[in-house]
Amino acid sequence: MRRKILLFGALTGVLLVGRAFFPREVEGQSVATTAATQKLSPEQSAHIEAGNTSFQQKCAFCHGRDAGGGETGPDLTRSKLVLEDVNGNKIGDVVKNGRAGRMPPFDIAGPELENLVAFIHSQAQKAAMSGKRKGVDISDLQTGNLDAGKKYFEGAGGCSKCHSATGDLAHIATKYEGLQLMERMLYPRGAKSKATVTTASGEKLTGVVEYQDEFVLGIIPEDGRYRSWPVSKIKYTIDAPHQAHVEQFSKYTDDDIHNLMAYLQTLR
Amino acid sequence: MIRGKRAGKFASGIASLALGFSAAAVAQGLDQANLLKPGPDSWPLYHGDYTGQRHSALKQITPQNVGNLTLAWAFQTGQQATLKASPLLIDGVLYFTVPDHVWAVDARSGHQLWHYTYPANKGLHIGQRGVGAYKGWIYFLSPDGHLISLDAKTGKEHWNVEVADVAKGYWTTMSPFIVKEHLIIGVSGDFDNLHGYLKSLDPETGKEQWHWDSTPKDRTGGMTWMTGTYDPDLNLIYWGTGNPTPVLNGKTRPGDNPGTCSIIALNPDTGTQVWAFQVSPHDTHDWDAAESPILVDGTFKGQPRKMLMQASRNGYFVVLDRTNGKSLLTVPYSPVNWSLGLDKDGRPIPNPEKEPAPDGRLIAPDENGAGNYRSASFDPKTGLFVASAREAYSIYFSKPADGDYGWAGADYGVWSKGVIKAIDYQTGKIRWEHEIGDSATAGVLTTDSGVTFTGDFHGNALALSTVDGKTLWHSNTGSIISTSPTSYELDGRQYVLIGSGGVMFAWALPETAVAKR
Repeated sequence: MRRKILLFGALTGVLLVGRAFFPREVEGQSVATTAATQKLSPEQSAHIEAGNTSFQQKCAFCHGRDAGGGETGPDLTRSKLVLEDVNGNKIGDVVKNGRAGRMPPFDIAGPELENLVAFIHSQAQKAAMSGKRKGVDISDLQTGNLDAGKKYFEGAGGCSKCHSATGDLAHIATKYEGLQLMERMLYPRGAKSKATVTTASGEKLTGVVEYQDEFVLGIIPEDGRYRSWPVSKIKYTIDAPHQAHVEQFSKYTDDDIHNLMAYLQTLR
Repeated sequence: MIRGKRAGKFASGIASLALGFSAAAVAQGLDQANLLKPGPDSWPLYHGDYTGQRHSALKQITPQNVGNLTLAWAFQTGQQATLKASPLLIDGVLYFTVPDHVWAVDARSGHQLWHYTYPANKGLHIGQRGVGAYKGWIYFLSPDGHLISLDAKTGKEHWNVEVADVAKGYWTTMSPFIVKEHLIIGVSGDFDNLHGYLKSLDPETGKEQWHWDSTPKDRTGGMTWMTGTYDPDLNLIYWGTGNPTPVLNGKTRPGDNPGTCSIIALNPDTGTQVWAFQVSPHDTHDWDAAESPILVDGTFKGQPRKMLMQASRNGYFVVLDRTNGKSLLTVPYSPVNWSLGLDKDGRPIPNPEKEPAPDGRLIAPDENGAGNYRSASFDPKTGLFVASAREAYSIYFSKPADGDYGWAGADYGVWSKGVIKAIDYQTGKIRWEHEIGDSATAGVLTTDSGVTFTGDFHGNALALSTVDGKTLWHSNTGSIISTSPTSYELDGRQYVLIGSGGVMFAWALPETAVAKR
């Protein structure tokens, strides 16, 4: 299956370029069937093939050779961002700027970027047309028991020590769904810690931790002005309530996770 | 020893003659005698020597003075690709790479001697771990599976042979391994159901000498993408192999999947397999056992042993008797939740409940693993195996629609943390830990003076005390460090090399301080 992409240039006769030709809904929903199939011009095929070359060199290791996901990188053929992208307006930003801590920025611009975008879109459409529902669907994540999940949330899981179904988690299932909800449930990636710092002069500041290694602490207090110090020159405490999620990893069973998912999905 | 073999330098020529080297050896460049006993002014193999210990005998930089470390020079590749290579040092010249590029650089000044560029190609450009060297030749593997022999003096192409088929889905990244008259290469490629293999070629001509397949004909996987180690007394090379394929779907490949996720001992003259130890039987999580198989001679539970140690990607630290591949110790060095304990041979038993499933399974570690490409180091003085480890959790999925080809599922990292861990090889107990941020990317070098060089996940190059892991020095390189540090001494000055982003940094003590010694 995955091998075929190397022959892609020769096989693209009936594939489509760009979302503009092929409006469709986001992840988990069906592809609009009314869109007309448009035959590719030789120029379009050449763009896709050139994009394929760049993709194999720079993207395939993480996102898979067919853009369907691989080591560390998500499936681009089902990515919400890719599906919402029009002619690179969203993909381009991610390629150029990367994603903090997850993906490096790439110096790809101009025609190379356009070709890359054309390739990613053509792969997304190819995946949609193949009919195989690869990857993680919302329907895959419905194996848990709601009552057991609620019990775990309020009891053994300790979730209710910090969270409330009617407070911070009210309507959580309308904000996140499927895999994204599951990932955030396990660990809220990007959650910021707070630090309270007492400087050498006795000044006390509290702010969001912007940078911390073993030598320097940088925070953004309420006034929005970044401040940093060598850690040896200050006294400080860090408040990181999301650390409780890390402590939970070794306690979960897989059933706990699926049950908890069943419960969280009712918080609409 | 390669000491004093700087071509064209009369004084050093005299020195080498005085030390008993023949003029012929000077003209020929690196030979097997050099590889067996590398001198302090050389780093002629990926791991520095055949043991893979990445322990430097140099002692100029000490725990007491490392705080004065300063930049000797920096070399900017000008490429966006990240340096992942361990530079070789031969006759005062460093050779290092990123995909499609090789540089020869003066080890004293950072001055570029030559730059070789390989033509644009469709191979996967994930990384390049460095060249191999023998006599006057430099060997380089291209992303699209070609092995190129270059003239070490000029960077001119000598020959170019295909060793892996890029159209089938292979790519190549490793540093070719020289053992006697054998040039040994390994391959990458687990996005397709392919056979992993090793090839030995004639270093002069590139002609194939032998070919070894990781798996039986009806099975696939077992890529050989990291450079191995060699015991000249036993005449065995040791190599780690990668995961079976399809990667996350184990249903179509029942059983242990022998030859994959294993440490293999081979005869370098014939390619005959002598023994194998499987670190991850029936892997379904992409946990290559490709991490460096480090060779240590020492005592284990009071008995003198020839050992092999690995901090494996699956979270287990293993110690083997390298004469026969029998397990001496298997113990987790990072959180692990996928096994049901050990079998009678000391191999972890995979828990079938932890195979990827349609509704997801929480797995520790994640696919990136507890260990990976970044090298660990063994410090003989303290008996510590110092590893740049990750603690990580992830969710693994696989369902029938994902099929039985290539990846065949999906997995998502949930959380991770990087920790330098000093493991007591006798017990597996962690003597000290040093946290380095949200992940780990840099390898480890220990030195005879008791300094451990590595890097954190913020881009800091670090010097730690090998005894207790305390920080002695740091400098932020401005990028994530994806290399393993190396060290050498030239003209009485010790250098530590750490590649970060597209820049090679050489650190040393200030020249004035060195002169006063």
